[in-house]
Amino acid sequence: MKSKFQPGDLVGIQVRPSRLWTQSLSWVLFVAGIALYAHLSYLRHRQNPYERVAPSVHQIYEAITTAATEPAEEDMPLDPGATVWQHIRYSMLWKDTVASSRRFLIAMALLIPCIFLGLHMAIFPYFGAVFQRFVLFFDKIVALSLLPILFIVFGIEEWSKIMLMVIGVGPTLVLDTFNIARSVPREQIVKAFTLKSSNLDVTYRIVLKQVLPQIINSVRLNLKPLALFLFAGEMIASTDGLAYRIALMRRHMGMDVILPYLLWVAFLLFILDALLRFTNRRLHPWFHPLSS
Amino acid sequence: MVSPALKLEPELEVVPIAAPFKWRTEIALRDVSVAYPAGREGVKTVLSGINLEIAAGEFVAVLGETGCGKSTMLRLILGQEFPTGGAIAVDGKPVKRIDARCGYVPQKYSLFPDRTVLGNVTYGPENMKSGLLGRLRPSFRQYRKELRAEATAYLQRMGLRAQDLNKYPHQLSGGMQQRVAIAQALLMKPPVLLMDEAFSALDPSTRSSLQEQLHAIWQESRPTIVFVTHNTQEALLLGTRLVLLGRYQEEHAQKNNVLLDMDISTSRLPFSRRAHSNEFHELHEYVKQIAYKSSSMNREEDAAQPLTLEGNLR
Repeated sequence: MKSKFQPGDLVGIQVRPSRLWTQSLSWVLFVAGIALYAHLSYLRHRQNPYERVAPSVHQIYEAITTAATEPAEEDMPLDPGATVWQHIRYSMLWKDTVASSRRFLIAMALLIPCIFLGLHMAIFPYFGAVFQRFVLFFDKIVALSLLPILFIVFGIEEWSKIMLMVIGVGPTLVLDTFNIARSVPREQIVKAFTLKSSNLDVTYRIVLKQVLPQIINSVRLNLKPLALFLFAGEMIASTDGLAYRIALMRRHMGMDVILPYLLWVAFLLFILDALLRFTNRRLHPWFHPLSS
Repeated sequence: MVSPALKLEPELEVVPIAAPFKWRTEIALRDVSVAYPAGREGVKTVLSGINLEIAAGEFVAVLGETGCGKSTMLRLILGQEFPTGGAIAVDGKPVKRIDARCGYVPQKYSLFPDRTVLGNVTYGPENMKSGLLGRLRPSFRQYRKELRAEATAYLQRMGLRAQDLNKYPHQLSGGMQQRVAIAQALLMKPPVLLMDEAFSALDPSTRSSLQEQLHAIWQESRPTIVFVTHNTQEALLLGTRLVLLGRYQEEHAQKNNVLLDMDISTSRLPFSRRAHSNEFHELHEYVKQIAYKSSSMNREEDAAQPLTLEGNLR
């Protein structure tokens, strides 16, 4: 029986809020945040119409339009007759997004061997014996402290930033995969051998297939640390990229660019996460009922 | 050493398997011991010098209280663990690793969660036929088609409906999952089938139905089955031979070994009526008494009392 909402229900554990309530409540903090910012911006603009610390909606719109259609300051200006597509293609936002995405995707590709390393460590005892202690030790090294070494070894170009991401997230992914693969019940492996599986069958057709959805989830959880290391690298030594632009704009107090860039990065990560979640669900229909 | 296999009146209707085959093997455990280092306690003995020979076609029910080493014994036969002393042979060859000589049905996690029912059952025979590259050959497609037809017939005989065959294990009940697990193991036609408390997580009616089905399969093709259980009634109902494992005191040392090894294939009653016969009840009481005596001996207050057993004691 549904009862009328009581204020005390907000702290009740046994209450069952309706779907409408839960959906509405999930947007409350967004609305409150926007309202608070709008109020703050309004107050500051009343004192100084050229205020840039809390830009108005109009200023933000202007900055987004410029970032998405005009080249960066350091680039050549476009011909007056350029098409819309050329405006977008040579814009500052596009240039920075492509630069950061390229680094991000190369790092993700380089992290794939980490998954195989963790898998083999979990399945092949001698493999585990060789690598486990070393990876555990390596995982404790603060990746950012390696940055000077990376700059010396790889120079200040692309590879130092990419390697920072790989070194920062790699050991975690190896250990995550190792733990996930170790959690496959022993009975499954025994059963597979009684069904005439080879070592490779057990590794790739039994264990990897079973743990792949969890590994994808682990990659999803590591997207943010990956972005964090990318930002660290770009902010310290780069000539393009989303984080480079944010760091550059900080010098000019350009909050009208910084805020949209922050939201754009969050949106890109959200899209990537959603894509991985969708892929996981499509590829592994058997997994989600188990995990829920 | 063991009496011939049970001859029952054919009361259960049995549909023959598509491709009948001959079971042929035996299991031999010679002076097998297992002991683990156990910190301050020194060494924990799980099995102490077990000798057991199982002939082809026997249905051996292994009974015993928790911790008496019955699952360890099964893992030794399987090749999952190795004895600290003695030797084990299956099908005349020593056991060195887990292989396809033994089929295995554990209590849980018996099916691969990422494969459908049909995918689970055909996984083994597909491996038998060809390796990873062999699957690319055109003849494999035809083989796969035939295999799926055979598996479908087998599964339907095990009580699964056509619409269940493309379901994933989590979509099936516990009983259905175990039916598929048995089919998965049997379709490989292994010389030995090892079942570790395979029915203990099931409700009584499902359990009873599966017992009947397992008995029918065994009666039809006579695989060698080693069935580990802690349920006396189940052991007596299914087995042709009962092996009771337990602890006893010998020269100030506690040992885990075979307390009772008896032929229980004497009943000629049909399976469905067997559990209600006087003979069955007498046997049940007898085994229960021995099991109780063994377990009470392990309790501190009874530790001084010697274990005296009547019957075919080893």
